[in-house]
Amino acid sequence: MGPIWLRRAVAVITASSALLGFAADAPLKIAPVAFNERVLANGLQVIAVPSSASPTVSVQVWYHVGAKDDPAGRSGFAHLFEHLMFKSTAHLKAEQFDRLTEDVGGANNAFTGNDVTGYTDLVPSNHLEVLLWAEAERMSNLNVVQANFVSERAVVEEEYRERVLATPYGRFGNAIAPAAYQVHPYKRPSIGSIADLDAATLADVVAFHARYYRPDNATLVVAGDFDAAQLDAWVDKYFARVPRPATPLPRVSVDEPAWDSDRSVTVTAPQVPLPAVALVWLAPPVTSPDAPALQIAAALLGSGESSRLNQALVYRQRVAGQIGFDADLRAGPGLLTATAIVASGKPLAAVAQALLAEVLRLAAQPVGAAELAKVKTQLLTAALLSRQTPEGLASAVADAAVLQGGAGHVNTDLVALQNVSAADVQRVLQRYVARAHKVSVQYVQAAAQEGGAK
Amino acid sequence: MKTSLVRLIGALLLSLAGLAPIARAQSFDTPPQPGAPRPLTIATPVEQRLPNGLRVVLAERRGVQLVTAQLVVLSGSEVDPPQRAGLASITAGLLTKGTRRHSATALAQAAESLGGALDSSAGWHQSEVAITVTVPKLDAALALVSEVVQQPVFAPAELDRLRAQALDELKVAYTRPATLAGQAAQRLLFGNGAYGHPAGGTPASLARIARADLLALHAARYRPDNAVLVLAGDLDAADALRLAQRHFGAWKAGSSAPVPAPMPVGAALAQSAAVIDLPVSGQAAVVVATPLPPLGADRATAAVMNAVLGGGYSSRLNQEIRIRRGLSYGAGSALDARPDGATLRAGVQTKNESAAEVLGLVQTEFDRLAAAPVGADELAARKATVIGDFSRSVETTAGLGAAVEALIVAGRPLADLGQRIDALSAVGADAVQRYAAANLGAAGRRVVIAGDAARFAQALKATTPGLSVIAADQLDLDLGSALSRP
Repeated sequence: MGPIWLRRAVAVITASSALLGFAADAPLKIAPVAFNERVLANGLQVIAVPSSASPTVSVQVWYHVGAKDDPAGRSGFAHLFEHLMFKSTAHLKAEQFDRLTEDVGGANNAFTGNDVTGYTDLVPSNHLEVLLWAEAERMSNLNVVQANFVSERAVVEEEYRERVLATPYGRFGNAIAPAAYQVHPYKRPSIGSIADLDAATLADVVAFHARYYRPDNATLVVAGDFDAAQLDAWVDKYFARVPRPATPLPRVSVDEPAWDSDRSVTVTAPQVPLPAVALVWLAPPVTSPDAPALQIAAALLGSGESSRLNQALVYRQRVAGQIGFDADLRAGPGLLTATAIVASGKPLAAVAQALLAEVLRLAAQPVGAAELAKVKTQLLTAALLSRQTPEGLASAVADAAVLQGGAGHVNTDLVALQNVSAADVQRVLQRYVARAHKVSVQYVQAAAQEGGAK
Repeated sequence: MKTSLVRLIGALLLSLAGLAPIARAQSFDTPPQPGAPRPLTIATPVEQRLPNGLRVVLAERRGVQLVTAQLVVLSGSEVDPPQRAGLASITAGLLTKGTRRHSATALAQAAESLGGALDSSAGWHQSEVAITVTVPKLDAALALVSEVVQQPVFAPAELDRLRAQALDELKVAYTRPATLAGQAAQRLLFGNGAYGHPAGGTPASLARIARADLLALHAARYRPDNAVLVLAGDLDAADALRLAQRHFGAWKAGSSAPVPAPMPVGAALAQSAAVIDLPVSGQAAVVVATPLPPLGADRATAAVMNAVLGGGYSSRLNQEIRIRRGLSYGAGSALDARPDGATLRAGVQTKNESAAEVLGLVQTEFDRLAAAPVGADELAARKATVIGDFSRSVETTAGLGAAVEALIVAGRPLADLGQRIDALSAVGADAVQRYAAANLGAAGRRVVIAGDAARFAQALKATTPGLSVIAADQLDLDLGSALSRP
């Protein structure tokens, strides 16, 4: 499962005007993202990304803690905790972040990933100082009261029901990591369970904040419309005073051993409109030199209507309605996941076989130059799309800094993607897929007598 | 416009000064005060026209290296003939599935090799093919858009394939309580008129659609004098016109017959409330919807009213239902502003046992908008929210293109884009209350709850007269005279 976004309600070179001056096949050039990085004495990493395209500024604080750090018996806790960061602090009332953002024409949100928890504020640029103050405040002075803890936990339980129970393939998506991992804490679903959420206490909240929410475990990224010297002064003023605890930071040190056999898991649910299948392999960490080739492979297989899986399973064979291939690369061992929702009347086993055959075909035969160029253009265009806004810029830099091994990766990773060769794609698919073991997850309708269980 | 944001923030400063103490020097106990704002200016898009009648509208956003191109035909699901719900949607979907020169696969490969994708779809009063690419790829991208709009072949095998996919998608969609409640509410609001059917069709209507229907709709509606080319991003007006002329200059209308008028939008069914029983649903979806007259000069007032009720995290619905009571992950409302009749629709998902309580809370908030004026601080905050959402939505080429398209489809002048912030800023509490009193009366309101009826229907019957419970597989979304199959 990808990161869980908290706040969403129900309901992404300078161009010449002489267009004819460009050949249609000229290589795209993207101007590198300019940024300035420093580390405060208390360990806080601070990255400034100037852009004056609009009078807004994105303030993001990414804490290096995620669902993998959920305490024992408390699956879903990192995510529940993320919700509580919008409650009271010593000097902020509950929901006052909304007053400081939404009420002045801005917005806020947060997400809990497997490895990180990010808090994102977007405000008219004249409100930058206010948000820096507020983020420093909840880093140092969180003060949640019991009543707010109980009501927000109920919200998270409704989020669980909405995402897992009341969404057609919610149970399927939630079942993949638990089926795949054998020992790594990534095994637990990041949304948790109702029982584990109910077991959480206010004391857990206090302990989790003390353990992980500290300046030497956080990255502050500010992108958009600001004066660099003024930003530095404000950051010093509000964040330098946050103390760095003497206690060591706990880190997950468990590794996932290579799987030594193929496994198969069947997941049932009371209402499965069309069966689905996932084939899952273990991936190397996101910092691996093989990461760019795996991202290219994923795009070749699953990105767009012309992708291999869509053309084979959905278009030519007509055995699937939807397909996907996700290279879910993480700080630790990630997952390569091929999925298909079965078309009406088609046998699940045959669809799984077709899915596997198409992935293995890419491992067996080198991809042609035009197809490889296609996905590189797709990925580069997607990067440009996401960098149009201060929020997109900040997210790209934060992701590079926190997960990929350094803010500079925001620029070098695009170059690395462009340098991937057909032989690289074949090599990584051979290593991580063709010569590795997989887990198959079948998602089917429960028998009638199980149907009432919810 | 330049000055409006300055005024707005200035007003906010004044109102906040009364609430919060001014930050004291060297104190970290209170937030610092904001500085002077940098205003946002949104230029009016430039409209040009080709000799064949095609309007060409450019919204510039320089320096982003990207352009979003949308060829918008000004007819959509509202022209689906009776018994053919989903025709406009299927027609748009099939445009990219083969032309006289290229197969579906070749078209997808060509578009994706440019870094974009040919997105074709239909909605109310619009059918479109859109693509976002980098500037050097725009010329080739427009060649593809032009080809699929003007030379689709609507091959029978492609129609069969798309229909089978659409039927499977409905099978999945009908397990979502929110989809069922929303489509049922639309049937209650618009009955058997042009707005009463699901734009995506139903299993029965999709089965009836034949190639001849697609050819007829394409010939009647896909013509340069019923279309607009919207370009948003990094190019200038002279290039926009040159490109439009190159790719669309030779486009001729398929017939000289004038575009026929659609049927009337429709009148509400007599039934005002329904429960859709979906016994295995993990949550109930509560929908309350009310019809509004077509939006004109009152567009900004309606938008601010919606922001107070259910637009954004701190709206009244989310305050009462999520923040205060923990009954949902998110409660909100939205305006659906179709040119011939709008709706305001609130939607909430909650555990089945809480459905009746949530419905009561939603009804109370509808009533409160008419009963009392919105307070000054709340109004300022909600206006800032809706202005901020709009301002950020035009930061991307796709968002800018969508905003321009929405104006065109609504028949509004393009200058509205640059004036929208001023218009929203000018809305007063009295105008919101008057608008709510005139349009949110209980008589027009329609309520649908989809979920595990055994867990909430009894509680609802006490408070909701005329409630009927319909099994999900008996729900009739085709143009019958009732929600339940005969």
